[in-house]
Amino acid sequence: MAEKKLSKKALNKSFRNWYYGNLTCFSQEHMQTFGYLCAMLPLVEELYDTKEEQKEAMDTYTAFFNTEPQVGAMIVGITAGLEEAKANGNEDIDGEAINGIRAGLMGPIAGIGDSLVVGTLIPILLGIALGLSSGGSIAGPIFYIVAWNLIITFGMKFLYKKGYELGGKAVDFLVGEQATAIRESIVMLGTMVVGSVAATWVSVKTSFHLVNDAGKEFLNLQNQLDSVYPGCLTAAFVIFCWWLMAKKKVSPVVTMLVLVVIAFVGVLVGFFNPGLKY
Amino acid sequence: MTISWLQAIILGIFACLSSMPGMGGTTIGNYTLGRPLVAGLVCGIVLGDVQSGILVGAAMQVVYIALVTPGGTVSADVRAVSYIGIPLAMLAINSYGLDPASAKGIGMATSFGAMVGTLGTVLFYGTATINLVWQHVGWKAVEKGDFKKLYAVDMVLPWISHIICSFIPAVVMCKLGVPVVETIKTTLPMDGIAMKTLFTVGSMLPCVGIAILLKQVVDKAADFVPFFFGFTLAAGMGLNLVSVTVVAGMFAIIYYNLKMVGIKAKEAALASGGSLDDDDEEDI
Repeated sequence: MAEKKLSKKALNKSFRNWYYGNLTCFSQEHMQTFGYLCAMLPLVEELYDTKEEQKEAMDTYTAFFNTEPQVGAMIVGITAGLEEAKANGNEDIDGEAINGIRAGLMGPIAGIGDSLVVGTLIPILLGIALGLSSGGSIAGPIFYIVAWNLIITFGMKFLYKKGYELGGKAVDFLVGEQATAIRESIVMLGTMVVGSVAATWVSVKTSFHLVNDAGKEFLNLQNQLDSVYPGCLTAAFVIFCWWLMAKKKVSPVVTMLVLVVIAFVGVLVGFFNPGLKY
Repeated sequence: MTISWLQAIILGIFACLSSMPGMGGTTIGNYTLGRPLVAGLVCGIVLGDVQSGILVGAAMQVVYIALVTPGGTVSADVRAVSYIGIPLAMLAINSYGLDPASAKGIGMATSFGAMVGTLGTVLFYGTATINLVWQHVGWKAVEKGDFKKLYAVDMVLPWISHIICSFIPAVVMCKLGVPVVETIKTTLPMDGIAMKTLFTVGSMLPCVGIAILLKQVVDKAADFVPFFFGFTLAAGMGLNLVSVTVVAGMFAIIYYNLKMVGIKAKEAALASGGSLDDDDEEDI
């Protein structure tokens, strides 16, 4: 029996189906399962000739699947390689083994993807884009659209290919020591950029001031605070929100409501005053 | 400023494309068109005021800079923030005669965005629930071996969910927006407590977005240092964001090289037959 090999065309089609369709039919019950089925279908159709074999292979991928879809392209690549090996009669690999690997990977990959792509790459790109869009310039959004789509499309393609070629070993790319060092440096870069985004774009200011009998101002709290550490009220609010959510396990929506209460009380006592007038 | 039916319909289509789970896919839909900054450009083009659109989008973007949706739980819905919140905020800013680049304009935009975004989570759960019907169709198809149908289930039928949960709400809200904004304006004067609170909240809300992001990266107190480093560069030393990125990049390279020295030293020690009896070393 001739060795079965997936054609470039089928692999490309599988990648495209994942790239576009990973979340289009999302539900809370089966998050990315249908995206995965669509990504595997071109491969299964090429590897197996009879309907029965195809059905058996597809049944593997009906199991629940959810991960961070961009970095998750690697898992699709890995299963493409495994499915090919299975079709060539490798006894060690059956549907159950593939599902075991898949289920074992989706948690860690989701963690890496969420912190690296959503938590770091996107905020860095958006941070730069925000800097470029001051005064309403279109340079900002255009930069983000081009940079993000180029990086992530080539990145996903690379991860899919590596997954297919290296199989389970591909994961070393993401969790090996060198990969961890790279990841930590990027996260550090991202955290610094986010710090400057907070300083540039967020501005919590107090209007609290005291005047003496002659109507002369002798205390301006905002100026006092800024002479200690510029923007320290903004920083304090960020830390407060972080503390509520990370330490007190308060949801973001409730945190926002807490801010509404603080703002209301602050306005009443004259601590906050946005200085509105017509 | 008003929103015509045609403009509302175009915004509605973008709402379908951009949400999580949107019909534009994750990369192009949610992570490109769904970002408020990009949506600001789109809304600006559609409503004929690109500059205000981008300013409003940028203001809202800070609140949602890290919209992480772990395990499919959302705290704000991007289609609502981006294609209902931005057009309405543009209308309101225009109607109140504010400068979108000013602190007041930004405060107004962020409070509008957060309000609509939080209410919009209903739309997310609505879409996901209707998708259950299409998935049911999908399971039947898999059982029968009718695999071609999977493409329709994954990529075509969810459009119906989006017409119900993205298109119609966006069109209706954008059309209703004009009279609603006018009513708010007449009932809530600018110097009243309600408006003062609204604008103050607007200036605080971005802290939540930044804090969500910090939650991801900060485990111990020392992890705050890079954040304050970046904060100080901008607030204390007045560097702009691109310059901060360059400085931060330099530190990232130094950090990486330091780490690699450690890794290489460990490898060298192992290669020279060094008797590192550390259990961790076995899995290299």
